[in-house]
Amino acid sequence: MSSNSYRGALAIAMRRAMEDHEHTFIIGQGVTDFKGLFGTTSGLFERYPSRVIEAPLAEDSVAGICIGSALNGMYPINTHIRADFGLLIFNQLINLAAKYRYMFGGLFEVPMMMRMIIGRSWGQGAQHSQSLQSLLAHIPGLVVVMPATPQSILASYRYAIAEHRGPVIMFEHRLMYELEFEDGPPAPEVPIFGSRLERAGDDVTVVATSVMLLEAKRAAQYLEKQGVSVEVIDLHSISHPDYGMVLESVRKTGKLLVADTSWAAYGVSAEINRVINETDPSMLKAPSVSLAMQPAPCPTAKVLEDFYYPDVYDLVDAAARLHIGRREHGVPLPPKQSMRDYYKHFKGPF
Amino acid sequence: MKERRSLLFQCLRIRLVEEKIIELYPTDLIQSPVHLSIGQEAVAVGVCANLLPQDWVFINYRGHAFYLARGGPLPEFFSELMGRRTGLSKGKAGSMHLAAPARGVIGASAVVASTIPHAVGAALAAKMKKQSGRVFVANFGDGATEQGVFHESLNFAALHRLPVLFLCEDNGLAVHTSAADRQAFSLERLVTSYGLAYFDLAEGYDPERVREYSHQAVEEVRRECRPVFLRIKTARYREHVGPGEDFHAGYRSAGEMNLWKAKDPLLHPSAITEEYRREISLEIEEAVKFAVESPVPTEEDLLTDVI
Repeated sequence: MSSNSYRGALAIAMRRAMEDHEHTFIIGQGVTDFKGLFGTTSGLFERYPSRVIEAPLAEDSVAGICIGSALNGMYPINTHIRADFGLLIFNQLINLAAKYRYMFGGLFEVPMMMRMIIGRSWGQGAQHSQSLQSLLAHIPGLVVVMPATPQSILASYRYAIAEHRGPVIMFEHRLMYELEFEDGPPAPEVPIFGSRLERAGDDVTVVATSVMLLEAKRAAQYLEKQGVSVEVIDLHSISHPDYGMVLESVRKTGKLLVADTSWAAYGVSAEINRVINETDPSMLKAPSVSLAMQPAPCPTAKVLEDFYYPDVYDLVDAAARLHIGRREHGVPLPPKQSMRDYYKHFKGPF
Repeated sequence: MKERRSLLFQCLRIRLVEEKIIELYPTDLIQSPVHLSIGQEAVAVGVCANLLPQDWVFINYRGHAFYLARGGPLPEFFSELMGRRTGLSKGKAGSMHLAAPARGVIGASAVVASTIPHAVGAALAAKMKKQSGRVFVANFGDGATEQGVFHESLNFAALHRLPVLFLCEDNGLAVHTSAADRQAFSLERLVTSYGLAYFDLAEGYDPERVREYSHQAVEEVRRECRPVFLRIKTARYREHVGPGEDFHAGYRSAGEMNLWKAKDPLLHPSAITEEYRREISLEIEEAVKFAVESPVPTEEDLLTDVI
């Protein structure tokens, strides 16, 4: 599979994890079946039958089993075909894995990876669509990453498995699985920490997570033709972003737009605004804007879903408003088009 | 006889350590919750007598007895309870999160049943790494058997045939609620439905009997490399948490407890236990002195070992 596709990068990352580290194993629902977790684990069970384990429908214990195996020297990769199912492991993840090193004064470490896939579109509905990064980034002891490009996947998965000695949660976005990417900027130096400067600009800073990075880049390209220069930062590490990069950018532009895949309240945008406020609120020349899911569970009907998620139209509108300084900014907007229609490949069933 | 003396010595040592905690508690030298094992010592001592250095025990917040039965160091134990830097976990764990990896005591959790799958996972790792002859003990109380993760762990251990000893210390109480008010299921039928051998011992007050009876269960796990369930009836003499007694609260009967205590060898002063008291008390005094004289953590310690 191509290393320039999101799915291909994931498949390569999983294959390398198995090839390069004999103590790595993959455990989750569907990792050995003919679909192989959207193709990202396909063929691995045949090559490593004792290290690719089909899990019972018992997320809570499987997460605990991962902790126990890590204590005995293995590196578990636990998959959740929807991040929503990952809610069933929060006791083990938050009460145990996140605390093992600290609570025992450094006696133990539990290196492990949780792959959680965020669903979107084709009627994923309220329980197949949640984007839980800020819930987990809230917890000391966890590293939470939202890789938004194949390069980010290859670098950060390798680093997490080979170098990091604690639990890492990777939020993957289903909407990007089918996409081919052009080469972007490299991953941060320590790939599970830090952010990526995706595009330089002078007028407005857009800080984006996961699939919103793609929308932010589309918006920036569009606005460039309209004479608005947008700087785009891929936040990448949600728990340990490069705040220096964000602050430097906002100092330059004075305008901040945060585009996250989840809800705004107590979320990524709230956190970035907190850091700016506690550093130097005068760097903002206009009130900041947050684009996020609407404050409701996700509806299933496509027409409602298109209202529910922000997209390139909303991004262009918000960035233009920030730049011009009023609601009637005069910048022509791109046609309103749902992301699913734009990324044509997303046709169900999933 | 020599072995019985050794087992009783260990039981007495645990009891005297906890009686020292009761004595110290009003001084506020220990400023954290303590869940005492008094009454349950024979389970830990008897089972651990069958374990080898390569075996691991996963314990819970009522963990003093298993920690000491496995040979966890006493000065660092008191230091940990007193929040000192010389504690096993530098004062970040306290009584509820004891651990002594060098002695095969893997971390204790204060969330009921949450370390059961850790024993299963460590056993899975042992199987994948082809470590043979190791036993992984999941130690929990009867309340833990109501948790979903307990059932899930039995299923996984049975499905993958993992060397886990599921050890239920059954003191009949979850905090203040008796099993009859909590459980609609038969533990034996539940466990055997997963295909596990079910061992059940009523005489959890006698460490020698526990050692003898649990030997077969431990060896079956070790030899056959498969999970086994062992339930041992026991009795918690003290309140759920804290140093006191709580029979006045009315949720359980002192009379029934007295029937149990009548069989407790530590409550029958004999030459065997009396001759050890002085030796043990000296060890305890030294350990307490070490802890009291140890430094407390500094602000620099606050943010170490987070990730």
